[in-house]
Amino acid sequence: MSLGSVLFYIGMAMIFVGAVCDVFGALGMLRFPNFYVRLHAATVGTIGGAVVPLFGVAILALGANFLPHRYAIAGASTITALIILLVAPAGSTALAYAAHRSGAVEWRPGVDHLKERKEMDKSAEGCRDD
Amino acid sequence: MGLESQFMTFMKVVIPIYLAAFVVYMLSVLRGRSVPDVVLAVDCMSFDVAAFMAILAVYFRSTFLVTGAIVLALWAYLLDVYVAKHLAEGEVGA
Repeated sequence: MSLGSVLFYIGMAMIFVGAVCDVFGALGMLRFPNFYVRLHAATVGTIGGAVVPLFGVAILALGANFLPHRYAIAGASTITALIILLVAPAGSTALAYAAHRSGAVEWRPGVDHLKERKEMDKSAEGCRDD
Repeated sequence: MGLESQFMTFMKVVIPIYLAAFVVYMLSVLRGRSVPDVVLAVDCMSFDVAAFMAILAVYFRSTFLVTGAIVLALWAYLLDVYVAKHLAEGEVGA
């Protein structure tokens, strides 16, 4: 078995893992109880369901000798995978921060440390004014 | 069996799985529980469509589909940031 076909099979396996992660992420997005729990499903859907298959396509394209312009496809999918790897957590974090700050989502938490902390800071500022 | 015919057989298994995932994401978009939920679902779906486009680029042997995937990933991030800014500050200005 040549190196090219080994790369090809590794890429195929990564694409399949990505497809499975994609389905589970989508089901979690549909079924989980509130927005902050759904963020976990979103991580499965983006990192497992997009970054892993994109790296898989890159590795597969390197090994696929039937493909014209295979190095271009491999390079572009690597770049896309790196962009998503950097950008997806940043976007989810911004969205979670905005949702908590604006109170746009309904949830019934046991504890909300961020809210307690904000109230504590506010009352500390009030003491300083006196 | 050559690599190419193996890949085409493999695609017959993988493409329906991806399409099923898109349909389920679309269901949670259409359910529309709140604004951050819809944006999160659209965001995930865009990233997954970008990955699917890269797979289709190998399937159709076209380099141009992958360049579209890069733009799609950045666009999904832009959607996230704009909506987050609008929810937090009430405006999308500087």
